[in-house]
Amino acid sequence: MRMSAALVIETRKLTKKNRVLELDLEVKEGEIYGFLGPNGAGKTTTLKMLLGLVKPSAGTVRIFGESLRKRRSAILRQIGSLIESPSYYGHLTGLENMRVVQRLRGVPDRNVEEALRIVRLEKHRDKKAEAYSLGMKQRLGIAMALVAFPRLLILDEPTNGLDPAGMEEIRELIRALPGRYGMTVLLSSHLLGEIERIATSVGIINEGRMVFQGSLDSLRARSRGEIRIAAGDCAAAQRLLAEHGFQVASAGGRLLFGPLADREVAEINRLLVSRGIPVTRIEERRRSLEDIFLDLTGKERSL
Amino acid sequence: MMRTLKLEFYKIRRKKIIPMLLLLLAAEMLWALLSNSMNVSRNPDQAVWESILFTAASMNGLFMPLMTAIVVSRLCDMEHKGATWKLLAALNVGRGRLYAAKYACAGILLLAAAAAQAVLIAIYGLAKGFPGGIPVAWLLRFIGGTMLATLAVAALQQWVAMAVRNQAFALCLGMLGSFAGLAAALFPAGVRRLLIWSYYLDLAPVTYRYADSAGVYAAQPWNAGLAGAALAAAFLCYAAGSFHAARNEI
Repeated sequence: MRMSAALVIETRKLTKKNRVLELDLEVKEGEIYGFLGPNGAGKTTTLKMLLGLVKPSAGTVRIFGESLRKRRSAILRQIGSLIESPSYYGHLTGLENMRVVQRLRGVPDRNVEEALRIVRLEKHRDKKAEAYSLGMKQRLGIAMALVAFPRLLILDEPTNGLDPAGMEEIRELIRALPGRYGMTVLLSSHLLGEIERIATSVGIINEGRMVFQGSLDSLRARSRGEIRIAAGDCAAAQRLLAEHGFQVASAGGRLLFGPLADREVAEINRLLVSRGIPVTRIEERRRSLEDIFLDLTGKERSL
Repeated sequence: MMRTLKLEFYKIRRKKIIPMLLLLLAAEMLWALLSNSMNVSRNPDQAVWESILFTAASMNGLFMPLMTAIVVSRLCDMEHKGATWKLLAALNVGRGRLYAAKYACAGILLLAAAAAQAVLIAIYGLAKGFPGGIPVAWLLRFIGGTMLATLAVAALQQWVAMAVRNQAFALCLGMLGSFAGLAAALFPAGVRRLLIWSYYLDLAPVTYRYADSAGVYAAQPWNAGLAGAALAAAFLCYAAGSFHAARNEI
């Protein structure tokens, strides 16, 4: 059971008409929360609602334990964000773009230097932002989000359009933030692999609904294998096992079980052999996280 | 608000707004002064302050809408181009505050242009030896009338420049306004009142009256009703534009 005191973000039945439906999002302090979903699932709309950029149709948002609607200014001062593509003034240099944010945030010069150093843009700070590569623009966007070293960092698909090396660089950076600066990070992506590499918790959204929320370990637990057993007399075996309380189905001459503990597999094998039903094969078919994600976003509606 | 306004001035560096403004101002004043100079050399009785003030005011009908369109459009375009609306909103810069800062920034730049015109007129008049001292009151009214018309035009331009990403629309409106300002004198008074671009001439401190085959420059009394109409137009366009900008979701 999550304690609300430890929650940095808490939404209740957050809804945006036709885009997000009754979303209950919970992000704990110090975690990297991966907000995962296919394109068009409602991730960006949700993040915009968390920043007050889009007005919810219904529901509540509490950040740092306070209502966003009532204390938006105070809350936003403690959040850094990068939503969709990075925003920047192309005619200004990287440093000047940072100065714009610095002036609005009212933070000292050293923050600008530090943020540029973290994203490794210090050597390019005097170059116009419009001349930056896509990766550099993305890093500039992250530096602008970091400049006040906020308590909460919201990043919307931060590795979009980056090459593999650039993606890894950004991932490393994000992974280091909670430990080094005590930040909580909410990160959206449509790539499971990305979230798997960075996040400690995950929320999966599909068609505007949250279909899974929890730790990555609990998501991985769903990848426990399906057990298939090939036995001599399939129908007799199924009857026998059902009599002994096992939930079993059959298909293609094989007995199908859900995830089973090792001791249960041994028990099934013993029962069948003791009744003279030969066991010719025992297989475990593991589902990858990718399969689970596809199940959640493609088939299952809700857990 | 002051911080947001200062930031607008910081953000326009390298946008070449001031050089463009200076270029247009130079073209306008060169045209006005040369034309007045030729006129005065042909008709020495027109070597009076009224002549250059009237010429400058009528030129403003042509040039100020263009200058206003360019300044306002450049100020708004940088936010559209860099998709910085969401950045600023996430930094708690309200749309209304940003809208006001842009309007104030444009107003200050255009006020500087109008003041520079007044200074150039004074220098020109002195150089030409126009009778009487520098007509400070008229010059102040010239600046005031120009700014009242400009504030209305700028409010309309900003509404369009904010609402439509493609700045070709805002610049086209500026060109149409410039044409209306130039041709304003040809319209009947009733129509002129509806065209805010015609106010440059109608709020000028001097006018030109046609009598028989000749014409004379004459002092134009301050038209409080027209000044009020310019302010009302500025207020309405500003309020509508600001409301429109604040209502749009990012």
